[in-house]
Amino acid sequence: MIKLTIDNQTVEVPEGTTVLEAAEKLNIRIPKLCHHPAIKPYGSCRLCVVEVEGFRTIQASCTLPAGNGMVVRTDTPALQESRHFVLSMLFSERNHFCPFCQVSGGDCELQNAAYDEGMTHWPIQPQWSNFPVDTSHPYYVLDNNRCILCRRCVRACGELVGNFTLAIEERGSSNLLIADVGVPLGESTCIQCGTCVQVCPTGALIDRTSAYHGLGQNVAYTSSICVGCSVGCNINVVTRDNRLVRIEGDFGGAVNGGVLCEHGRYYPMTDQRERLTQPLLKKNGKLEPASWDEALTAIADRVKPLVGKGAHSVVAIASTRLPAEALSIFKQLFGEGIGSRVVTSVEEGLPTARSAELAQTVGAFEAKLEALKTSDAVITIGVDLSRNHQVAGFFAKRIRPQGVPLIVIDPNENGFDPIADVALKPEAGKDADTIGWLLAAAKGEAVSDQKIGEAAQLIKKAQKPVIVYGKGLIAFNEPIVLQKLIEYARAIGASLIGVKGEANSFVASQYQLDRPFALNGQQAAYVAIGDDYVTERLLQRLEKAPFIIAQASYASKLTALADVVLPVTIWAEQSGHYVNLEGRVQQAHAALVAAEGVRSNAEALQAVAESLGVKTMDNWKDALFQRKPVVEIG
Amino acid sequence: MSKPKIASDWMAGCAGCHMSLLDMDERIIKIAELADLRATPITDLKEPDESGVDVGVLEGGINNTANEEVAHRMRQRSKILVALGDCAVFGGVPALRNFCGIQEALQRAYVEAESVDESGKIPSDPELATMTKVRALSEVVPVDVFVPGCPPEADVIYYVLSELAQGRTPELKDELLHWH
Repeated sequence: MIKLTIDNQTVEVPEGTTVLEAAEKLNIRIPKLCHHPAIKPYGSCRLCVVEVEGFRTIQASCTLPAGNGMVVRTDTPALQESRHFVLSMLFSERNHFCPFCQVSGGDCELQNAAYDEGMTHWPIQPQWSNFPVDTSHPYYVLDNNRCILCRRCVRACGELVGNFTLAIEERGSSNLLIADVGVPLGESTCIQCGTCVQVCPTGALIDRTSAYHGLGQNVAYTSSICVGCSVGCNINVVTRDNRLVRIEGDFGGAVNGGVLCEHGRYYPMTDQRERLTQPLLKKNGKLEPASWDEALTAIADRVKPLVGKGAHSVVAIASTRLPAEALSIFKQLFGEGIGSRVVTSVEEGLPTARSAELAQTVGAFEAKLEALKTSDAVITIGVDLSRNHQVAGFFAKRIRPQGVPLIVIDPNENGFDPIADVALKPEAGKDADTIGWLLAAAKGEAVSDQKIGEAAQLIKKAQKPVIVYGKGLIAFNEPIVLQKLIEYARAIGASLIGVKGEANSFVASQYQLDRPFALNGQQAAYVAIGDDYVTERLLQRLEKAPFIIAQASYASKLTALADVVLPVTIWAEQSGHYVNLEGRVQQAHAALVAAEGVRSNAEALQAVAESLGVKTMDNWKDALFQRKPVVEIG
Repeated sequence: MSKPKIASDWMAGCAGCHMSLLDMDERIIKIAELADLRATPITDLKEPDESGVDVGVLEGGINNTANEEVAHRMRQRSKILVALGDCAVFGGVPALRNFCGIQEALQRAYVEAESVDESGKIPSDPELATMTKVRALSEVVPVDVFVPGCPPEADVIYYVLSELAQGRTPELKDELLHWH
C-alpha cells in the first residue's frame, strides 16, 4: 500500500493508483477533461494538474502514480491560474458557440469546467477559422469546431470497442478528428456503436436523435438491461415526459463496462413499428377493437374445451425477449396447465438445445464472459460476432492489440474474417472435421492443411484460450460436433462460451421452451411475441392455424393473421428478470409508462391463465434450476 | 451623496439582453431607487451624459464603425464598463459571419436570400457605417465586468446592476454564471 497526503488529508491506496484516483477516494474533486474512468489515463488536457512537494513542475494527476509520502495540493493560486490558462487556450483554439450548442447548460464538461473556475469570458478570441463538420453518419454528427482534442473518442473506439476507426491527423492546432484515413464518418469502418458520442465531453460528437431533446437535468435515467441479445448489457434508459430520449451504456456495468452496440443503442430509437394499444377481436373476418374482458372471454371460449386434449390442443410459442417472469407463467399455463405438447419459443431451441442436452450429462461446461475479456487467444466458431452479440465481439477485438490472436471458423462469410489471424472456411456441415484436425494438431500430430497448422501454432502459445461458439455450430449439426468441441477445449485448456440467442434465450432453455414446432392438428396457436420481430418462418408455419391468439406490442403480419390480439408492453415499459449468456441474473426496470389498456407480458399471461382457470406460481427463479445449466447461474 | 448614474446602449446584438433587463419586472423600480437610470436605447435619452456616468452597459458585439463609436463613447464616459450578454462578451451569433467574411455575408443576405427578388443589391449608401469583422467588446475597449448569457437572465442582470449601484463589484458564479 501507498500512503500519501492530499490537501492535508492522508489516504492509503494500492500501488499503481494514480493521484487523481487517490484524491477521488478522499472525495477531493480535481477538474479534468480528457480523463474518463473507463479508458486509460492519457494526460492531454492538463486540467487535472496538482502540485507535489519536491517536484519541480506541476503534474497531471491522472497519469501520475501515487508515491509513498507524497504531499499533494490540488487547489493553489498557481494551479487555478494554470487551469484558467488551459481553459482559455481550449476555448480560443476552436469555435465554441455556447448559446446554440445542444450540450450547453449542464451537459458540456468543458463549459462546466469553465464555470467551476468562475470564468466569465475568455481572454483570447478564436482565429475564426472554419473546421469541418461531418454529417454523413446516420446516428451522429462530428463537429470539429467543438473538439478539444482530448481523444476520449479515439481511445474509446480503440480501447473499448477495438474498432480503431477514429484518429487524429495533422499536428498542433491543425489536429483534426478523422475517420479511417480521412473518409466521411458515414462511409468509414465505423460500426455505429455510439461509444464515442457517449464519452465526448463537449458537443463535438452529437447524437442526432436526442440532440435538443433535453439536458441531463431535464431527463430521467433508469438503470436497466439491454434486451437486444443474450449479452445483456447494462444500460441507462434516458426518458423525458414518458418519451424515450436516448439509451446510454452503463460504465459501471458488470457485463459491458459501458459499451453498447448499434442494436442496443440505436435500434430501439429508430423503431417505426405501429404500436397496439387495445385488444383486437376478429369479427366477421375483420379485426375490431375490443375490451380485455371480451378478448379474454373469446380466448377462454376457444381454448377451455382444448384443455387436456394434448396433441390437439394449443401450440404455444413465446419470444425469448420476454422477461423470465412472463416465460415462467407461459410455461406453467400451457405446459402443466393446459397440457399442450408443443410449448416452445420462437427460437425453438436452435441456439441452446444441443448445449442444454449435453449439460444434463456432463454438467456445466461453459465459462463467464470475463474469460473472454482476459483471454490470450480467441477462437470463434458458428457465430459472427461482428453482427450478433456484438459486445462480446468488442471484447475479442479490443485485446488484439495486445497480441491476442483471433481465429475464425465459419463456412460462411464472417465479419471478423478481415481482422482474423486465421479464418478457416470448412465446408458447410464439416465443422467437426476442422475441430478434429485442430485437436490432432494440438496433440502434436502433423496436419496437412497449412491454415489449420497456422491456427494450431497460434493457439499452442496461449495459456487461457477462449472458444466462442454459436448457433451456426450446434443448430443443425449432430450432437457429436459439440462433444468434439468440448473435447478440443479440454485438450487445449480453453474456456467455452456459448452465445445463445436473444435476451432470455438461456431462460427459455432452462424452462425447456426449446423444442421445434410444427402444426399438427392443434386447434389453436398462442404466440406471445411481445415486442419481438415476427419472422417469415414463423408466419409460414402458423398460416394454417385454425385460431391464432397474438400477444404483441406491435402490429405485424402475425397480428393481421390473428383472431385475438392482446396488446402488451415493450421492453422499456416492463420490469423483469433476464439471465444472460453467462448465467448472470439481471433485472430490467421499466423506464416508460405504457398506454392505458396495454398490459405487461406477465400480466397478460396471468389474465389468460385466470380466464382459463389455470393456477400459476411466482417461481420463475426456482424454475431456472429445474434443469442442469450449461453455465453456472448467479 | 447623489445616486450612481447608469447608462446603456446596444450594438451588434438582437436587443434580447435589454429585453431580459426588462424581464426583471418590478425590480427595475428597485434599481431606479438605487441608481439614476440615464440614457438607454429604450428610453428618450439616447447618449450617455457627456459629464460621464458611473456604470456603462453595452449589449452586442462590434461589427461596424458605428458600433466602434458607441463603444469608445461609452468607455470614455463610464467609470465601469459592463459587457452585457454573449455578443458583447464573446462576439456571439453575429460573429458567425467572421467565418465567411463580409462580402459573402452581404451577398447572401441582400442578393441570394430566398426572400429577395432580382432587384436585390448590396446597400452602398455612403452614409452607412463601414462593416468590420465582428469583435467582442473587450477587443475594442477595456471591459471591467463581463456578464455572459444569451441572454443573461433577469436575475443575473438585477444582481449585477444592484451590486454596481451599491458600489460593489458583482461576482458571477454558480447559478448566476452561464454562457447560454
